[in-house]
Order: sequence, then structure tokens, then C-alpha cells
Amino acid sequence: MTINYTRISAFVFLLIFLIYSYLAGEIRVFAFDENADFNARTFPKLISYLGILVSLLTLVLSKNEKEDMGQYEWVSVIILFALVFSYGLLIKTIGFFVSTNLFLVISYLYLGVRSYKVIIFSSFPVVAGLQFMLHGLLDVYIRDPFLQFLGVIS
Amino acid sequence: MIEGMMMGINTAFSGYNILMVMMGCFAGTIIGMLPGLGPMSAIALMIPITYGFDPASAMILMAGVYYGAIFGGSTSSILINAPGVAGTVSSSFDGYPMSQQGHAGKALAIAAYASFSGGTIAALFLLVAAPQLAKVSLSFQSADYFALMCVGLLSIAAFASKGQFLKAMIMTALGLALSTVGQDSLSDITRFAFGNINLMDGISFVLLVMATFAMSEAFMIIFKKMDINFKSSDVSKASLGSIKLSKEEVKEMVPTIGRTSVLGFFVGVLPGAGATIASFLAWGFERSIASAKDKLKFGKGSVKGLAAPETANNAACTGSFVPLLTLGIPGSGTTAVMLGALLSFGVQPGPRLYVEQPELFWAVIISMYIGNVVLLVLNLPLIPYIARILAIPKNILVPLVLFFSVTGVYLISFNSFDIYFMAIVALISLVLRVLNYPMPPLILGFILGGMLEKNLRRAVLINDGSFSFIWERPISLSLFIIAILIVLLQVYQGFKKEKE
Repeated sequence: MTINYTRISAFVFLLIFLIYSYLAGEIRVFAFDENADFNARTFPKLISYLGILVSLLTLVLSKNEKEDMGQYEWVSVIILFALVFSYGLLIKTIGFFVSTNLFLVISYLYLGVRSYKVIIFSSFPVVAGLQFMLHGLLDVYIRDPFLQFLGVIS
Repeated sequence: MIEGMMMGINTAFSGYNILMVMMGCFAGTIIGMLPGLGPMSAIALMIPITYGFDPASAMILMAGVYYGAIFGGSTSSILINAPGVAGTVSSSFDGYPMSQQGHAGKALAIAAYASFSGGTIAALFLLVAAPQLAKVSLSFQSADYFALMCVGLLSIAAFASKGQFLKAMIMTALGLALSTVGQDSLSDITRFAFGNINLMDGISFVLLVMATFAMSEAFMIIFKKMDINFKSSDVSKASLGSIKLSKEEVKEMVPTIGRTSVLGFFVGVLPGAGATIASFLAWGFERSIASAKDKLKFGKGSVKGLAAPETANNAACTGSFVPLLTLGIPGSGTTAVMLGALLSFGVQPGPRLYVEQPELFWAVIISMYIGNVVLLVLNLPLIPYIARILAIPKNILVPLVLFFSVTGVYLISFNSFDIYFMAIVALISLVLRVLNYPMPPLILGFILGGMLEKNLRRAVLINDGSFSFIWERPISLSLFIIAILIVLLQVYQGFKKEKE
């Protein structure tokens, strides 16, 4: 049996569904529901059986051949992921407008955009336009301490 | 029915909703044109914008986006041989050669007329079929719904798997498992929240769709170093040529449009099938019935070869609304996203929708006609200008898609946890996609999970804890036989492939 990416992923899924099955059995139900024909545990249990079955079948029946993953840009994706994460961290503290513009400008720069005109026109007007649409047209309030400080929004 | 239809006409023809159709078609065309971003990503990106809308307007906007995305996908297929969506791959077989011969304008016009005709004929079918099916489905009981959902899940897994049925089934099971996070609908017992308050209400549908489609697609563009931008000159107006069709070309197109719109509609109605299969089938079908002389033209710029997939994919889009509107069960990944959006508006699609909210039911159907007219009248003349969107570099596009995804999710909850969770889900989705795990079965499993549990619970309790409803009710039995046949067909195909 060749160990390839499909088998490794199927094994990971098998573990996930086994844990899920265990956790499904641990769901606390009301005492009167304990022996009911259908309680909060039943459906998750059925799903776990399906998951275990198909993961096992994938593990056993997948082809015995090596799989080439090819060349991918892992680092760039991880950096973008970190940028999204930081964006989530900053959005509450410094507000929507500044955090979004920061996220866009840093992402453009990281991905190789060097024209300042392009960077400025693809960030500030887009964010301002969306915020105007949300605040002004759709009445969706986004807390923004920076714009409040400037007196742009109340 | 007439009263409901009139209400629908009033709703669909209100100035506001016509604006929604136009916006939807326009935005869909632009997003669909960009290789990698299909109708599911387009609709996902639109969801946050629809928060302030009433359900009818939101649905009309999304239907417009769906059509527009398919039309936009055809444009990039024809002009640069880079289909924006899978449903338009077969349009490039004859569209691109036509474009290379200097008839890009003509090819785009054929695509537009065929899409318009296919969509319109299918909308007429929908007009007749949907109310009938809605009436029939009123007799469905929980057991039948459970069986129908099983067929839907298996079909999506079978069709979306590209030969890897088991992987698609793993994704279905994962989607079902994710749907159980949060409170149980009957007992209110919290499941799989691990004491985290952010998970007690369950996982947001918008978060999951944004993460698995829009955000992971953006990551994928960088991850695979996809070269998605093209030179503006490739799509300049000068190279398009005339958009006028000769009488002979129109004569050649008409019978093809008639045949393939019927084929496309019925393929679209089947759960799991949809625009991609319809367009390939239509191209193959037209080629097989063509005369020996015409057959040689296929793949080299045939009018029939372009009209067939274009008609069929639009007809299939319309057809996929039949199970959504009448049974409340999506027939494709895209309509699954729409179902999720409707549920978040508090609207439960299904046979009761036709009775209780006829204005919504009919407004969506009627707006499809308007959408087709908009695509023809508005988008065709603007194509040379819209096509320049293809020249947007990926290093501008990717941050913008990430920004819209994050904003869309943040606007629902104003909770940073959702952003972190979405980024993690997007990263996992990226890995799964690289390993050929399809995403539509996951979304469908997630959306149908709650309904599946509710109907199964009801069916089991009505039957005193017995699963005998599977063979006792003829509708359920027939549906389960179909489900078994789908599985057996996949097993057979797997063995056949192995032998080859």
C-alpha cells in the first residue's frame, strides 16, 4: 500500500470522525430524553458512521500511486493569512477605515505593486465608497473611532 | 395563481427591483469574467450587500448575479480561452477559434443571443413546471423530504466529484458534521461548542461560503501562481469585429437553441447536475446529430458549437431554480448558497413558499426574464469595455477579494472571532482543494444538515422509532432506490476506470 497524500488526508479525516463520534456520545441530553428514539446525539452519531465509513473506504480503495503536489507559493499564502488575521485584530481597536486601508496597502505592497497612484486609488476610494454605502445608504453602522474623532461620522 | 403572478409582476417590475436585476447582471458579468471566481464566489460576495434588502429584492439581485456570472464566464472563454466558470468551458471549444479568426464580436453576439433565448425558454418552462411541482410536493411528508435530501446530497457528491466520489462523500459528511455545531433545534442542547460562546449559535453560513469559495479562491490564485491577468490589448474593441449576424447564421442557430434549451432545462432540474454538465452534453449532442460536413466545423468556430453550450448553460441555471423554489432543496452548489441566504432572511423555500409568499416566488421567476433582457440589451454593447476588467492584475484583485470577504463576515456579527475563524477555514479549504476535495458537497451538507435532522427526527418519531418509513412509503422508497442507483453507478464507474 503506497502512502500518498490522499491516504494521509483520509487517515486524518478518519481520526476527525472518530473523535467526532466520541464527542457525539458525550453530548449531554435531558434525563427524559436519554432513552428516546431520537435525541440530540442520534444525528451526529449517524454522521460519524458515514464519515468513518467513507474515510475508511478512501484509505483502502485509493490508487496505489505517488502523488506529486507540485510547486506552490506556501509562504505568500501564509503571509496573506497572517495579514487577514492582523486585520481581524485591528478592526475593533483602530476601526474599520484605518485597519482596512492598512490591510489593503500592505497587501498591495507585499504582492509587488509599486505604483503609489495604483495603491492609493485601489484602497482609499474603495473603502470610503463601501463605508458610505453602508452608513449612508443601507443604514449599517460600523464602529469607527478614527472617523468619529475626525467628526466624519457621529 | 393569476393573483400571485400579478403580485410577482408588480414586485419584479418595481423600479427598485429592476435596478437590482441590472446591478446583479452587471456585477455578475464582471466577477464571472475573472478566471477562478465563479457564480458561487460572486453570490457569496453579494450576500453582505443584501442585508438591508427585503427577501424578494435580495433574491432578484442574486439571480441576476448568477446569470451575469455565467455570461461573464463565456466572455473570457471566447476572448482569451480562459473560462471564468466551469459551465462555460465548452463555449471556448468554438468561441475561441471564432475569436482567433477575427470574429470575436460575432461570437459574443451568438453567446448573448443563445444565452438570452435559452434563459427565456427555460423561464417559460419554469413558469409552467414550478407551480405544478409545488402542488405535488405539498403531499410530501418528512420521510419523503429526508429521502429527497439524501438523493440531493448523493447527486451533488456524484457530479461534483470529478471521479472522486469518496472524497466528495467525505466533504458531505464534514458539511453535515459542521451543521451540528451549536444548539440542537428541538432540545436547545448545545453541541460541539467546546464552551466557546462564539460557537454556541452555530457556524455562520456566510462565513463558511466566503471562506471556502471567495477567500480560498483568492489564496489559490497566489498559491498556484495563477496568471489571471491579460493585456488590455487582448480584449480591445478593435479586435472584436462586427457583432452583426448573417441570416444564414441565425437560421443555423435557431433549431440548436430550441433543442438545447429543453435539454439544458431538464439537466438543470436534476439535483447535482447543472450548467457544466448541461453545456458539455449540449455540445456533444449537437455534434452527434450534425451532418458530416457540419461535424468537421465543430471545434473550429462552429456557430452551432457555440450556440449549443451557451443556450444549455443558461437554461440549466433556470432549471436549477425548480427544486429550490418548489421543494426547498437546492439542485446545485450555487442554488445551495442562495438557499442559505434565503434562510438567513427567514424565508423557507419549498411548496409553502408558493402558497404563502407568492409575490416572492413569482417575482424571482419573472425577474429571470428581465435578467435575460438586461444581459442582452445592457451587457452586449458594453462587453468591449467590461472585458477590460480582465486586465486587472492579480496583486490588486486578491487583496480586494480578501477585503470584501472579511467585510462581509464582519458585518454580520461585528465579531473579530469570525474573521480569525474564516481565515483558518479558508486555509484548510485551500489544502483540501489542492488535494482534490470538492467544496460544493461540503456547503450542501452544511445547509441541508439542519433540515435533514429535523425531517429524520420527525419521520422516526412518527414511526415509533422505526426506520420502516424507508420502504413503507412509495415516494421515499423510490427516492432511496434512486439514491442507491447513484451510489452503484459511481462504484461501477470507479471499477471501469480502474480497468482502463
